[in-house]
Amino acid sequence: MKDSLKGRLRVKLRERIIRLASKTPTAHPHIGSCMSCIDILIQTLIFEMKPQDKFILSKGHASLALYVVLNYLGKISDRELEKTYFEEGTQFGIHTPGTLPKDIPLATGSLGHGLSFAVGLAKAYKLLQATNITEAVIRGALPRVFCLMSDGECNEGAVWEAAQFAGSHRLHNLITLIDRNRLQAFGRTKDVLGDGGASAKWRAFGFNVVSCEGHSLKDLEEAFSKVKKFKNKKPNMIICNTIRGKGIKALEGKIESNYTAMEEQIYKQALKDTQNL
Amino acid sequence: MRYKFAEVIEKIARKDDKTVFLTGDLGFHAFEKLRDNLGERFINAGVAEHNMVTAASGMAYAGLKPWIYSIAPFVTIKVLEEIRNDICLPGYNVKIVGLGGGYDYGIAGPTHHVLNDVAIMMSLPHLKIYTPGFVEDLENIINKIYKDKSPAYLRLTKAEKNDIPISSYAAVRRITHGEKLTVVVFGSIINRVLPAILHLKKNMVDLWLVSEFPLLIPKELFDSIKKTRMVCVVEEHVQTGGLGHHFNQVLLENKISFKHFIHLYAKGYISHRYGSRDFYLRESGLDKETIAKTIESLI
Repeated sequence: MKDSLKGRLRVKLRERIIRLASKTPTAHPHIGSCMSCIDILIQTLIFEMKPQDKFILSKGHASLALYVVLNYLGKISDRELEKTYFEEGTQFGIHTPGTLPKDIPLATGSLGHGLSFAVGLAKAYKLLQATNITEAVIRGALPRVFCLMSDGECNEGAVWEAAQFAGSHRLHNLITLIDRNRLQAFGRTKDVLGDGGASAKWRAFGFNVVSCEGHSLKDLEEAFSKVKKFKNKKPNMIICNTIRGKGIKALEGKIESNYTAMEEQIYKQALKDTQNL
Repeated sequence: MRYKFAEVIEKIARKDDKTVFLTGDLGFHAFEKLRDNLGERFINAGVAEHNMVTAASGMAYAGLKPWIYSIAPFVTIKVLEEIRNDICLPGYNVKIVGLGGGYDYGIAGPTHHVLNDVAIMMSLPHLKIYTPGFVEDLENIINKIYKDKSPAYLRLTKAEKNDIPISSYAAVRRITHGEKLTVVVFGSIINRVLPAILHLKKNMVDLWLVSEFPLLIPKELFDSIKKTRMVCVVEEHVQTGGLGHHFNQVLLENKISFKHFIHLYAKGYISHRYGSRDFYLRESGLDKETIAKTIESLI
């Protein structure tokens, strides 16, 4: 039953992204990146996170994928999303906004900021719990901090500053995910600065590393289970192997997937394709 | 001023267990006691300032009150985007402390100086700037910053001994009374301006010290300019975007006219040689002797 619900969600939320992206004749919504990470977002935000946990979308250009998930969770209304997305005065930026601080703690878009924010947050939660502050935010379970980055984003130096901080402060309440589609804005990661989603790099920085198929919710679920079993107090990294544009055949694995507008012909075909995920 | 700074921060942290202190690997021979007494709330964030700034904003989001510390250019110019995106745009309660405003680091050279921090930081939303002229101002300033929930930048410099009695702290305050010339000084260059006017006859220079931005100019300073109609602004900051520009704008907006507006400011690196703070001040005409000559020529 749960598996069929998950299967339906993967289709339904992809359709939603495509429909919303078709509101603009431009390529601004970064459809390829949204399709690359939507399954990760579904498993993380809908099935894994507890109310006290926080999520940072460091790859802020995939904001539309986050909006449809937050909409599914009832945190963004249908009316508001449908009526205002890509309209003048909307709060739904092409990059994640600062107007929904409870659900989107940091406005991102410039890459390489999210992990630093996440490590600060994870460290703060540990400190707040350890120091037993009177007005503590923390009562009961230690909140976990989830942060999704892209593999291209790992070009940024600040990512590795944050990784060192996470490792040396043993932030076991940090779960970082990399959407490893092996493409960045203008090239393949291996041809630009190398693979930011290489497990060995993250292990060397003191992380527990788990790899999974990033379009399989079952695989993602198992990855989260593995993370929970680690008792070594290290920060956690889930490398999610993905395909940019996943679900829209003409765009899958292609650089141009982030530069394609949902114009009539491709829009219709994209909706058909998603039915055959 | 870092010794006094450490002492005051420690007092605050003792009272408020949400206060945390992050340093970019600096504080040798100054912050050892602070480190030992704050325990887990003292974090050496390493030589990783980009991460330190944004991690502090994450901590502020969680309800902590982080102070971040490094040499001034490393917590301003170097991390401008992190400050803008992650602290100022959301308005998170992070306090940025930079040691060595102006030429304070002397022969350490331009990489360790910051001459344009006011210009940069004033262009950011929600951020307030504080610059003590005297070490005696520091406790008042830090307590003020602590009580305010806004992001703040504190520009520290080396403390210098001051033998002249000074009035109690205010964002903009009168230091000496005078009738002929209004001198408005930003921050610690006051320690070169005061000796430059000491030998003058009494009641010549109406001397004011500015320690905070955005500028809130008291009526008495406007009255001073209306009377003297001669203004001299002195700052250890480049011409663009510092006290001179901001003050001039305030005077225009308030329709305060004057005969002369003289601006003494940091002129960068004229000879490209290295030296003490005074070496650079001399090159910029901000040394005691040149300031004295300029003031004498105006009265």
